[in-house]
Amino acid sequence: MSALVASDLCMGYTSGKLRTEILRGLSLSVDAGQLTLIAGPSGCGKSTLLSILSGLQRPDAGGVVALGEDLFRGDRHARDRFRLQHTGFVFQGFNLFPALTALEQVMLPLGYMGVDDRTAEARGRATLDEVGLSDRMHLLPAELSGGEKQRVAIARALVKQPELFFADEPTSALDAANGQTVIDTLRRIAHEHDTTVLCVSHDPRLVTHADRVLQMEDGAILNDRRVPHGDTMPREESAS
Amino acid sequence: MIPLARKTLIHEWRRFLPAMLAVAFSGLLLLMQAALVFGIFGSTAVYITASDADLWVGYPGTQSIELGRPIGPAARTAMLMDPGVARVEPFAWVDGDWRGPAGTGGVSVFVSGISTEPDGMIFSDVLTTAQRASLKEPLAVIVDRADLPKLGVPIGGQALINGELVRIVGVANGIRALGGVDVVASLDTARALDNDTGGTEVAYYVAKLKPGADADAVAARIDASAHGYAAWTASSFARRAVFYWMFQTGAGLGVIFLAIVVFIVGAIITSQTLMGAIAGSVREYATLHALGVGLGSLRRVVLEQAAWIGVCGLVAGVLLSLGLIGLAKLEDVPVELNLPAWIACAALVMGIALVSGAAAVRALRSADPALLLR
Repeated sequence: MSALVASDLCMGYTSGKLRTEILRGLSLSVDAGQLTLIAGPSGCGKSTLLSILSGLQRPDAGGVVALGEDLFRGDRHARDRFRLQHTGFVFQGFNLFPALTALEQVMLPLGYMGVDDRTAEARGRATLDEVGLSDRMHLLPAELSGGEKQRVAIARALVKQPELFFADEPTSALDAANGQTVIDTLRRIAHEHDTTVLCVSHDPRLVTHADRVLQMEDGAILNDRRVPHGDTMPREESAS
Repeated sequence: MIPLARKTLIHEWRRFLPAMLAVAFSGLLLLMQAALVFGIFGSTAVYITASDADLWVGYPGTQSIELGRPIGPAARTAMLMDPGVARVEPFAWVDGDWRGPAGTGGVSVFVSGISTEPDGMIFSDVLTTAQRASLKEPLAVIVDRADLPKLGVPIGGQALINGELVRIVGVANGIRALGGVDVVASLDTARALDNDTGGTEVAYYVAKLKPGADADAVAARIDASAHGYAAWTASSFARRAVFYWMFQTGAGLGVIFLAIVVFIVGAIITSQTLMGAIAGSVREYATLHALGVGLGSLRRVVLEQAAWIGVCGLVAGVLLSLGLIGLAKLEDVPVELNLPAWIACAALVMGIALVSGAAAVRALRSADPALLLR
C-alpha cells in the first residue's frame, strides 16, 4: 500500500506580472518501507514537492493522501497535529537549539507529543544509540561535528517513531564519510522501521543507495527508477 | 518536558541581557519616583505619622489635616465612652500669619496646639519630654530647624502670630510641612492665637486605644453614633492626607503619566530585544514547527522567556532601588515606599515584560518551515 499519494499537484508563484509554474499536474505514489529519492537540478520544484507532500504548504490544485488521510482537508492546526503524530523532518541545516544537549534536542519533540519525561529520556537514549551517538548525549551542538549534528537532527526526527520521514538535502553540508553515515542511517530507517523515507537531494551518492529514484525536471517527474532489493544497479521504469 | 525557554535564556544570556536591563531600569524608575512622591507627600501626614495616637476624630469628610474644622466636645465624650479607648487628647489646629522682623514679610504658618504632658500623643516621635514641657510657658513655640531662615528669627527670638507675640523656645527635626511652616505650641497658646473660634473648640481629638483593641472596630463604633464629627484610624487618616495632596497638586497625575511613559519605553526596548532573540533562533523554531509543534506552543516559549526576563529584571530593579533608597535616606532625601506601592510597581514591571513578550510573538510568524526548504 502506498503511504503517500499525490494527484495532479499544481503550484506556481506570481511575481509582478510574471507567473512561474513550479509543479505542473504532478502525480506520484510513494511506498512504505523504502528510501525514495527525489533528484533533480535546483529550481526543478523538488523542495516545493516535499513541502506539499509533508503538509507544510498547500498546493494551488491537486491533493495529497498521506497514510490514508486527506492532508489538506483540515485546517493548519489539523496538519500540525498530523505532522506531530506521523512525520519526521531533517533539513540541510541541522537547526539544533544551541542551549540543549544532544539528548535534550531529541527529547524535546516528545514533550510536545505528551510523552512523559522518563519515557522520553529512555526513547531519546535509545535513538541516539541507534544513530551511534551514545557517547555524545550530553554535548551541546557547539561541541559536535557537522556529521554528529546531522545525526542528532535525524535522531530528533526518528525518536517520534514517524511513519513518514522527510529529508531535504540531508548530506549536502557533510563530507564524504559523514554523508555516507547519514545515507546508511536513512536507508536503515526505511528498512528496519518500515518507514516511508522521502529524500530530496542532488547528491549522486544517495542515488546508488535509494530504493527508488524519481528524477524531476521543470515541475514534472521525468524518470522513475526502482532499485531491486539487494541490487545497487538502477533499473529503468516508465515515468508516472 | 525540556525547559527550552529557560535553557535558552541561560545559555544565550548575553542576547537577552538588554531586555533584562530595560526591565530592571523601568522597575528602578517606577520605584524611585513612587518613593520620592510618597516621601515628599508623606510629610503632609507628619502630624499623624510622627504621633502615636491610634485614632483620630475630626470634622466629617476632612481630607487632609490642614482642612480641619472645629468640632464640639461631644466627640471627646463619645470617645471616652468607647470600651476600647484608653486615653483622649485634644489637638488644636490654627491657621496663623507669622510676622517676623522686617525683611521676611508675612509667612503662613500652621499652629499645632498639643498636650504638654510627658505622655502627649501628638508629635511623640519628634519632641522630647523636655521640649514638650518647655511649651508650658505661655506663648512659647517650637519650629523645625530647617524653617528658621524662613521665619527670620533665631531660637529665643520673638515674632507675631495673628497679632500675639510668641517666642521660639526650641527647634525640632522632622516637622516640616508642605505649603507652610509648622509651629508647635501648647493647647493654651493655640487657643490664645485662635481668632476664629475664640478657643472653645478644637479641630481634632486623638485617642490611644487599650491593648488588644481593634482600631477599625473602635472607629466604626464611634462613627456609628457620631453627629458633626467622624473617626478614622491613624493609618487611614494619614493615607487620606497623602492622597489628597498627591491629587490636589497634580503630582499624582504626574506619577501616573510618568509610569505610562516608563511602561511604553520599557516595553518597546524589551520587545525589540526579544524579537531579535527569536529572529536568531527562527530556523530552530521553524524545525520544531515542521515536526508538528504548533505555533501556540512556540508562543508559550517566548512568553515564558518574557516572564523570566520580567522576574530577573524585577529582582535587579528592586535591589538597585533598595540601594538608592538607602543612599537617599542617608542624605535626608524624603523617600518612602509602602507595600502597596512595591506591589503596584512589581505588577507594572511584570506587565512590561509580558506585553513585550506578546508583541515579540509576532516574530514567530517568520518561523515558516517552508523557509528551511530551498
